[in-house]
Amino acid sequence: MLTVGFREFKSLFSSIRSIVIIVVLFGVTIGSARLVRQFEAPLQELGLGNDAYAMGLMLLLILAAPLFVTSLSHNIVNKEMDTRTIRFLATKTSRSNIILGKFIGSFLFWAVCITVALLLIIPFSKSFSIVNLVQSIIFVSYFVGLTLFLSTIIPKPSLSMFLGIIISIALPVLGLWSAGTDNLFIKAVGYVTPYFYYMQEESNNYYAYFVAFFPILFILLSVFIFRKRDL
Amino acid sequence: MEALQTNQLTKTYGKKTVVDSVDLHIPQGSIFGFLGKNGAGKSTLINMVTGLIKPSSGSFEVLGQSGNRLESLQKEIGVLPDYSTFYDDLTAFSHLNYFQKLLKQSLSRQDIHRVLTRVGLEDAVHVKVKKFSFGMKKKLGIAQSIIHQPKLLFLDEPTSGVDANAVLNIHSLIKEIAAQGTTVFLTSHNLNEVEKLCDEIAIMNKGSIQTQGTMKQLREQYQQAIIVHIHHRSLSEKEQTQLKNSLKDLAADTQIAENTSEITVQANELIPQVNKKFVQQDIGVFRLEVEEPSLEEIFLNLE
Repeated sequence: MLTVGFREFKSLFSSIRSIVIIVVLFGVTIGSARLVRQFEAPLQELGLGNDAYAMGLMLLLILAAPLFVTSLSHNIVNKEMDTRTIRFLATKTSRSNIILGKFIGSFLFWAVCITVALLLIIPFSKSFSIVNLVQSIIFVSYFVGLTLFLSTIIPKPSLSMFLGIIISIALPVLGLWSAGTDNLFIKAVGYVTPYFYYMQEESNNYYAYFVAFFPILFILLSVFIFRKRDL
Repeated sequence: MEALQTNQLTKTYGKKTVVDSVDLHIPQGSIFGFLGKNGAGKSTLINMVTGLIKPSSGSFEVLGQSGNRLESLQKEIGVLPDYSTFYDDLTAFSHLNYFQKLLKQSLSRQDIHRVLTRVGLEDAVHVKVKKFSFGMKKKLGIAQSIIHQPKLLFLDEPTSGVDANAVLNIHSLIKEIAAQGTTVFLTSHNLNEVEKLCDEIAIMNKGSIQTQGTMKQLREQYQQAIIVHIHHRSLSEKEQTQLKNSLKDLAADTQIAENTSEITVQANELIPQVNKKFVQQDIGVFRLEVEEPSLEEIFLNLE
């Protein structure tokens, strides 16, 4: 499991993509923080927090994390099935280990990217919030889990890329829409997106931690499906 | 305990049955050859017994354990899949290092070098696989299948696309591995290769095992006629006619020439009687060769 995870982590980091992601996270956080400062009062009323920089990062993640994760990890499992390298893995370790390892590798990559971006912001924000870090990582883990699940159930990388992009655009729209509508269907969809939990007006936003159950659910579903799949 | 045993193993895709109720019994320590035309179901069968695809029905046992518990046997099994692709960004060494870690082995750098040298990749240890030829990838595929010294080794077309020297090297490697007690399950299109290497052979056609046995058993089963080549002293035309007449009751066909004759008989037991006719007519025989059917002929007879 850890061997697969380390290989996944290393391969994500070995490309220029990780540096681009960190630069984007850092740059957009700074930019959006400046923008957020202009609307600090109304955003606080919406319960989006006090720290403009942390809010900037959250805003970026809320809007762009699905696309970031999809673009990098849409083929995390099905690429190996498409190229048949999965046959080497599946004859050497259990299928559960492959799925768990893939998740761990991708999750660690994002955790490191977000941590580095938050550390780079310290000179500007003069603070470092562990809570914001943890909540950001949990938020991204939802999409890491979802992408893993999509990559497991969709055999073709091109199709998982296409569907991943559609879902990446639809989820934030539906999630944010669900917060301000009485439409039951949209509200129901909202419960399965992380947005509902991140927009609750709770002082410490404990609801955000519920989101951690979703990646666990996605992993369990992926393992269940992958164990039954012909490779 | 058998290395592999399948009981009515079947795989269907929709209405198409690719492997149909296959019963196989492969003894430990043997080199088992598995033959069949493209699409006969060989690779599907290998993929089932190595856990890559799920059987539709039937069961199998590997090294005495149920196929349902295959994941616990991964350290005992080596697999070269039929179509081997690798990670372009890794070198041959990195591949084997990654795979040995997956198998929870603790091989040293020297051990990995040794395996790569054994398959003929000593000059490409630190070369990225994207620069490998097809044959080199095949060698790497073999290397990854033997890195943990498995008890049962599945090799699906190990020599296809490999140059002649490498083929000889792979043959000697297979023999060496089998001599150490590993059971080898080999599929190949190369009938000579199977004939040369394997202790026992099964021929698969349209998803079913058509025949199975040792080369001797298959020859006996599928031999339609035995051709005996006899090199003898020079015969006059009169002697040739006399000889042909004397063999009329024994041989199905006779081709008598001045120095060499070709006699076709229906059973091995008739060969001494043919020889006796030569002796009776005072024809000195220098050499007598019995032509046995090759695996290729048996294979073609099955069609």
